[in-house]
Amino acid sequence: MSLVDLTSMAKPNKEIRGKILTKLGGIELINCFQCLKCTSGCTAFKLLELAPHEVVKLVKLGFVEGLITSEIIWTCATCLKCTERCPQKASPYHVIMALRNLAVEQGAKIPEAYLKAVSQILETGLLQTTRKVTTKEMETFDRKRLGLPEIKYPTKTFKTVLLKVLEGALA
Amino acid sequence: MPRIGVYVCHCGLNIAGVVDVEEVTRYAKTLPDVVVAKHYTYMCSESGQRMIQEDIRAYGLERIVIAACSPRMHEETFQKTVLEAGLNPYLLEIVNLREHCSWPHSEEPEKATEKAKELVRMGVAKARLLEPLEKRRVSVEKSVLVVGGGIAGIQASIDLANAGFKVYLVEKKPSIGGRMAQLDKTFPTLDCSACILTPKMVEVARHPNIKLLTNAEVINVSGFVGNYEVTVVKKPRYVEEDKCVGCGLCIEVCPVKVPDEFNEGLSYTRAISIYSPHAVPNVAIINPEYCLRLKYNKDVCGKCLEVCGTKAINFEQQPETLQLRVGCIILAVGADVFDATKIPELGYGRFKNVISNIEFERMSDASGPTGGKILCPQTGKPPKSIVFIQCVGSRDKRFHEYCCRVGCMVSLKQAILAREKLGKDVDIYICFNDIRAFGKGYEEFYRRARDLDINFVNGIPSEVRSAPDGSLYLSVYEKSINKLLELHADLVVLACGLVPGQDFDRISEIFHLPRSADGFFLEAHPKLRPLESPTAGIFLAGACQGPKDIPDSVAQASGAAAKAMALLSKGEIEIEPLKAVLNQDLCSGCGICVPLCPYDAIKMKTERVNGVEKLRVQIVEAMCQGCGTCASTCPAGAIKMQKYTNEQILAQVHAALTESGGVK
Repeated sequence: MSLVDLTSMAKPNKEIRGKILTKLGGIELINCFQCLKCTSGCTAFKLLELAPHEVVKLVKLGFVEGLITSEIIWTCATCLKCTERCPQKASPYHVIMALRNLAVEQGAKIPEAYLKAVSQILETGLLQTTRKVTTKEMETFDRKRLGLPEIKYPTKTFKTVLLKVLEGALA
Repeated sequence: MPRIGVYVCHCGLNIAGVVDVEEVTRYAKTLPDVVVAKHYTYMCSESGQRMIQEDIRAYGLERIVIAACSPRMHEETFQKTVLEAGLNPYLLEIVNLREHCSWPHSEEPEKATEKAKELVRMGVAKARLLEPLEKRRVSVEKSVLVVGGGIAGIQASIDLANAGFKVYLVEKKPSIGGRMAQLDKTFPTLDCSACILTPKMVEVARHPNIKLLTNAEVINVSGFVGNYEVTVVKKPRYVEEDKCVGCGLCIEVCPVKVPDEFNEGLSYTRAISIYSPHAVPNVAIINPEYCLRLKYNKDVCGKCLEVCGTKAINFEQQPETLQLRVGCIILAVGADVFDATKIPELGYGRFKNVISNIEFERMSDASGPTGGKILCPQTGKPPKSIVFIQCVGSRDKRFHEYCCRVGCMVSLKQAILAREKLGKDVDIYICFNDIRAFGKGYEEFYRRARDLDINFVNGIPSEVRSAPDGSLYLSVYEKSINKLLELHADLVVLACGLVPGQDFDRISEIFHLPRSADGFFLEAHPKLRPLESPTAGIFLAGACQGPKDIPDSVAQASGAAAKAMALLSKGEIEIEPLKAVLNQDLCSGCGICVPLCPYDAIKMKTERVNGVEKLRVQIVEAMCQGCGTCASTCPAGAIKMQKYTNEQILAQVHAALTESGGVK
């Protein structure tokens, strides 16, 4: 998100800004005075260049469309440091979550990893598949060897219900 | 029936921009007993007032209704107007069309006009029943109580004493001087704080008109403007003030180490100590929580007794209660410094090398714990890099939403002092979000800091991290270059703001004073009466009214002193007649009103009527503040609240609910 992006973007879009504000329940969570405490401590800044103060300011100014299609909103690690420490009780975290929701609603491209996670849950009920672990002594363990019970995979009903919920959320 | 005149004010466009004033005036003319109704751009202007006075004479008006702004704003103005025209000032009724109508209903002008008509109708209904009242004059006590011996209290005391008034200066600490005594230099001139303060402290102690009461606290205030009764408790020092010469021999022999409060706990003093290097009075005090003899056993230790040449030490001293009679009170109790342990991410309290700005002051002071050297507390070595973090606890909705008004200037000053003391090779950073340098000479001071190669980083770090050697790491996103700076500092100084004192709850109870949303004491009017509390005869000075620097505190203190002089110099003052009045014949002596009176103005008494003992209440007029609580609760209707009688209020209610204009 550089200066060029901002200037090349269309005019502020009040309508889509209004949608975000509705999701946030008012202006309080973007009522920021740009002290930059959030970006100074952002877990996702150093590697992924997420600058929470910029996200909040762009929403405040109405430049929401560029954010929704950008990959930057998917980099937040949801550590909530920004929310905890904000001296103005604003919350970049909540703004980013609202943007993600809007992105999904509008059919924007979602990073593959997120889609993978959803299908993984549908298939296995877990965020990750079970893995084998190798120790320092190069011994390999799996659940069976550790005497742990087999993982039960989700039933068909679970899948239908989850899909319904997801569709409901998108509708 | 009385002849009534109604005057509707436009207040520029404040009222007329929303309310149709012509329509309201037309309507007022139709109300019963209204002889004349007029509207005018500014009723409070000279020509507006003259118009009312001319009408009073021409139409023989007996009651005046003015529909304008809040009575708190101009009731007094218009009372004078009608008085000059020969009418009793209490035959005037103000209808508030601005704060109660045009301002809150600016979106709905038609409904606002309807409401304005109703308000005027109610005002006329009440005006019809108004009775003439007389002000009473009472004599005043020509003395002043000043609470708090910081720079504000000192300045107010000296001003009043020089004008010839008797001053009682009460300070809870063992010495006067307050926060200013703890400072090294002062911004923006870098005057040595002690050099400009100490002479004033000595002047207070020597002034024949000032009675200085240190180690003392006000525990009760009763009475009213001009005649306050104050109870002060002087806590025991266990050292006779008139015998101790402040030689300090006792401190040398005392075996008990105690954290030094004046040095913010950065060094130790002894169980017997002199509060500060420039203490006034320069007298020792024993801390009963630490002294072995006072805490454990009457026979142990006693080393101070042995060395004291003037036999000043007295372990038998008891608290002393004093009753003072004063005409008015100046509250100058100052403020506390924000406790940064409340913000865990900054590491204060966890990392020794993170210090507060008041601790930096003590370190920088030549008479402080390090003899004026800036040192890292953990290593005892001078720092090679210092980072200041601004707005700690202030401009922060989690703690205090207001700007502390001194943090920026304090950090600029401390950065300059660090540069002077540590040389040009030391890296100094100030992490800020807005530098507020608004006072006289302050912006120039900011410039001076930049000239001295102090780095300003526009961004606040999220957290302070510590390395095993005690040095500190901070990441700050710099707004102007859009880069994350990694700062490595030996010393981090937090710009802690000024916050309401811990004992403000108790003080506000003792003095019956309200506080504003920020926790500081509330002034009578934020713009026009900033030096007065809402209670007549109690004035505010210094940081207890809101965060202030030294120039502002001194200005406010001199202002409050002048206000007190104006009040006392007349010798007597007028008291509003808006008080509760008892009808003896109706009072049954049930006493319901007695515990309800917030001002203890109602007493029970027995009277002999026709040879029969009868229980009745008595209202102490001088103490009654006219709140009306008693009048509204009296089951017999025996108490009348002047200018707010039951008949008057019911007439207003009637006028509000019907369109009859209050005439039944």
